Amino acid sequence: MKFRCERDVLAEALGAAGRAATGRTGSLPVLQGIRLELKGDRLTVTGSDLELTVQYELTVDGQQDGGMVVPKLTSDIVKSLGDPKVELLAEGEEVTVAAGRSRFTIRPWAYDDYPRVGSTTASSVTLPAADFIDALRQVVRAASTDEQKPQLTGVLLAAEAGGLRLVATDSYRLAVRDLAGTTVLGTDQQVLVPARALQEVIRLASGSGELTLRLGERDATFEVASARVTTRLIDQPFPNYRQLMPQPAPNVLTIDKDAFTDALRRVRLLARDTIPVRLHLGGPTLRLEAISNDRGTVSEEVDAQFDGTELTIAFNAEYLASGIDACAGEQVTLSTQRESNRPAVLRGLGTDDYFYLLMPQKV
Amino acid sequence: MRLVIARCTVSYVGRLEARLPEAVRLIMVKADGCVAIHSDGGAYKPLNWMNAPNTLRELETTWEVENPKGEKLIIELHEVFTDSAHEFGVDPGLQKDGVEAHLQELLAIAPDMIEEGLTLIRREYPTDIGPVDLMCKDPSGVTVAIEVKRRGDIDGVEQLARYIERLGMDSSLGTIRGIFVAQTIKPQARVLAESRGFRWVEVDYDVLRGRKSEELTLF
Repeated sequence: MKFRCERDVLAEALGAAGRAATGRTGSLPVLQGIRLELKGDRLTVTGSDLELTVQYELTVDGQQDGGMVVPKLTSDIVKSLGDPKVELLAEGEEVTVAAGRSRFTIRPWAYDDYPRVGSTTASSVTLPAADFIDALRQVVRAASTDEQKPQLTGVLLAAEAGGLRLVATDSYRLAVRDLAGTTVLGTDQQVLVPARALQEVIRLASGSGELTLRLGERDATFEVASARVTTRLIDQPFPNYRQLMPQPAPNVLTIDKDAFTDALRRVRLLARDTIPVRLHLGGPTLRLEAISNDRGTVSEEVDAQFDGTELTIAFNAEYLASGIDACAGEQVTLSTQRESNRPAVLRGLGTDDYFYLLMPQKV
Repeated sequence: MRLVIARCTVSYVGRLEARLPEAVRLIMVKADGCVAIHSDGGAYKPLNWMNAPNTLRELETTWEVENPKGEKLIIELHEVFTDSAHEFGVDPGLQKDGVEAHLQELLAIAPDMIEEGLTLIRREYPTDIGPVDLMCKDPSGVTVAIEVKRRGDIDGVEQLARYIERLGMDSSLGTIRGIFVAQTIKPQARVLAESRGFRWVEVDYDVLRGRKSEELTLF
């Protein structure tokens, strides 16, 4: 196997595939490597841990068909090269990476040991990438990273009347986005896609025009430009989020998103770990406050419009900042009940296709 | 840190001669120059090693590691399976007792778990002989120095006594009393604490941690 190609293009493909390659030495150590397969001028770069597979298709100057499995280190090697043209040659038990006056000889993994990975046979749906990626960005942040609760580590894609609904929760917050007019699932069908895979889709699809989805019963594939992400679906029941859908709220704060974000950024310097940010709602200003017995206190006021009865409510500052960031528009609303222990709802002012429900903290 | 997994033979030439026959091993070359050779077993001790400072010469299939005393480690590489390098940055050092640090952190959030009405002045209150774990005030305004240990023995009580002696030199703190806190306190330590006029309190780490379970959740 032998080919020449652009350093940056190959480095990007190796980097993306390398993120999916396993870091663990299990029964298939070859999965720690990245598979390269050359047919003519088409190079397929694959990384997988059997749960998540990332494949990249590149056009290269192919000189000799074949395949090899290179260590993840190859990504760093290619990235580090000074010359923008790279040549890879697999010969015998060695792979040579050469560019300009640099030449690396590395040990490959056994090509034949690499398993067949990353194929979904479900029918495909193609949709504009921008809207779907924006929606993913808004919800994937609420997914849990706690592997002890696998059902919370995914994003639910559910067919809803009139479109597609994306839902994620880590039990402290719930993000729901409706994409009207987007039909990618059958009636009442829903799938739970690992957030890790969707974060990779977001990364690869940024700036792309179209995205093709194949949502099967066990796997899902997302194709964008020259990249393909295939993931196993999470086979666990998703929590009944419908019981948490926002109810009319007696208190509504309307505030400039940037001003709220800036104030919160400063307050977060003290509101860390177990220290929540307290919001004092009432009157024409919102007062943010954090009290740390260890470090000190901070308070800041921001102009706002408030309808309702006075209330002090505390939140995990990071979760609150993430929710504000996810809301579209220049202004956001924070709706609360009269009690400080019931969830609050963040929305972009005038938008009803997204909300971020956030549980308060006790103070 | 450079990590090489290779089938290799290792010879040590110095005060004595030792040889590791051909086998697959992990060779670690640390940023400070230390070289250690590990087998796939045993928790901590390398099969062979050479402390820094030393010189590593990489020949085609052989590495020679030599220290200023002329001792040599000769590693013959028969087959290299992986060779990678990683930038670790500055190491924060060993945190000897994570539970103790966490215990202190949890009690700083909830000093009332030690004694009702206590409010925290500062964690790690500095003195010229070391920091006091927790400095608090009781409802009557008396300063309370608290030493937190995972296991309470007489050394901890002595430590608290030394802190209180030093703090006593600062008249601005007024009256100071001490509380010795641990998950379990040995009988001798209890006697000593009482003889020094300190209270001792045993706290339940799990209960303290359980306070987190009071977090409000959506479901």
